[in-house]
Amino acid sequence: MGEVIVITSGKGGVGKTTTTANLGVGLALQGKKTVLIDTDIGLRNLDVVMGLENRIVYDLVDVVEGSCRVKQALIKDKRYDGLHLLPAAQTRDKNAVTPEQMEKLCDELKEEFDYVIIDCPAGIEQGFKNAIAGASRAFVVTTPEVSAVRDADRIIGLLEANDIRNPRLIVNRLRPDMVRRGDMMTIDDIIDILAIELIGVIPDDENIIVSTNRGEPAVADAKSAAGLAYRNITRRILGEDVPFVDLTAQENILTKMKKLFGFKPA
Amino acid sequence: MEASGVVFKGSTEGLSIIVPEEYTADQLITEVSGKIQANARFFRGARLKVTYHGIRLSADEEARLFKILDEQSGAVIESLNRSGTGAPPSAAMSASRRGQTPAPLRRFFTKGQDESDCKFIRTTVRGGTRIQYEGSVVVVGDVNPGAEIVAAGNVIVLGLLRGMVHAGAGGSRDAFISALKLKPTQLRIADLIARCPDDPDTPGVYPEIASVRDGMIVVNPLYERS
Repeated sequence: MGEVIVITSGKGGVGKTTTTANLGVGLALQGKKTVLIDTDIGLRNLDVVMGLENRIVYDLVDVVEGSCRVKQALIKDKRYDGLHLLPAAQTRDKNAVTPEQMEKLCDELKEEFDYVIIDCPAGIEQGFKNAIAGASRAFVVTTPEVSAVRDADRIIGLLEANDIRNPRLIVNRLRPDMVRRGDMMTIDDIIDILAIELIGVIPDDENIIVSTNRGEPAVADAKSAAGLAYRNITRRILGEDVPFVDLTAQENILTKMKKLFGFKPA
Repeated sequence: MEASGVVFKGSTEGLSIIVPEEYTADQLITEVSGKIQANARFFRGARLKVTYHGIRLSADEEARLFKILDEQSGAVIESLNRSGTGAPPSAAMSASRRGQTPAPLRRFFTKGQDESDCKFIRTTVRGGTRIQYEGSVVVVGDVNPGAEIVAAGNVIVLGLLRGMVHAGAGGSRDAFISALKLKPTQLRIADLIARCPDDPDTPGVYPEIASVRDGMIVVNPLYERS
């Protein structure tokens, strides 16, 4: 019996879809049978980020309406063994699906897959309700901005109201240099407000933009800093105890030199 | 208002409910409930002394009427009397609220904020949540930005208060707001509104209390007052 995890945030543009794609690929690389569901009906993106847009035949709405079988709508990602995508419909809207239908779908999928990862749309309306309906766990994505943290707080409240306990936090697009200068919220600031447990911190990485445009999630790129962060989250999902790297404590040239010459760092 | 039936009349004295003499208590209560629901917005936040005219109610019926008024109108019902009786409100009311044998009524807010029902909240109050209570509220946890707490009585936050709190929402300026760390977006006591100074984000390191002095909300360290 698999696990259903919803990736949500409240605010748009904080990296839900990117996170979904990367965690999906990450889990598949770890040998887990994984299916990604895009619930952003009418504004689908996950297929693009995954580079699978041109292979869509059936979508989520076709499945819940019974126009096709679930199996037919699942797109198999040929690059990563065991990874599947259930795309959203582009020509419909959020009301084309009900929470009950989503719950049924998730129950069906988790029989067969180890992980069902749901990409939630921004907002707290119907799309959000659909996305969380079948989920037993939630990851809340936020960026270190006051507005995103506000929305995350609201979302956590709504998740708790819907009996999804202990959501975990992903802080995306952290810029260590700005945090060190005191120009950006620190991880501690964010956790202070949200009071939930952290599962990962992803540094701001311009390669992400390149990789999402290409449809090749960064998690598979050994050199990408964000990719490493996603790999760490994947391992934490699987139950490994991966220590958090303190991104803000990076060495500057001076301390590197001092270390080189045998000085203890201050 | 219908020609027959129950009539509401407002005055400086409060609210009068005029009841046709042939009415039973049940008819009265049903109609009052309907009227309040239709006009809930009107009553919200008001403080009312209610008198009824025309029929005689038993203590039990009076308690039911009180309950309807209290729960559905959103107003603070200070008293409920049959017209002509100048006596203090029937003891049955307090009994109905507390589920005990009738005792002399000490209805809250009539003598300051010292006594009132209290709601305890044992979680973080997150943004978008609104807590409304006809009494005092104690939060064991933080109140985050975007959350609203509206209480007729006092509000105490055992944590960091960053949201909006309205104490004494029924109009009592005796209400206070206290928090271990007071950093609210806005504080309201009765009809007064205050907001935090725009200084850099330095949450209070000691517990503070906000109350009204000389028509203004003032914040003081808590330990000075104890």
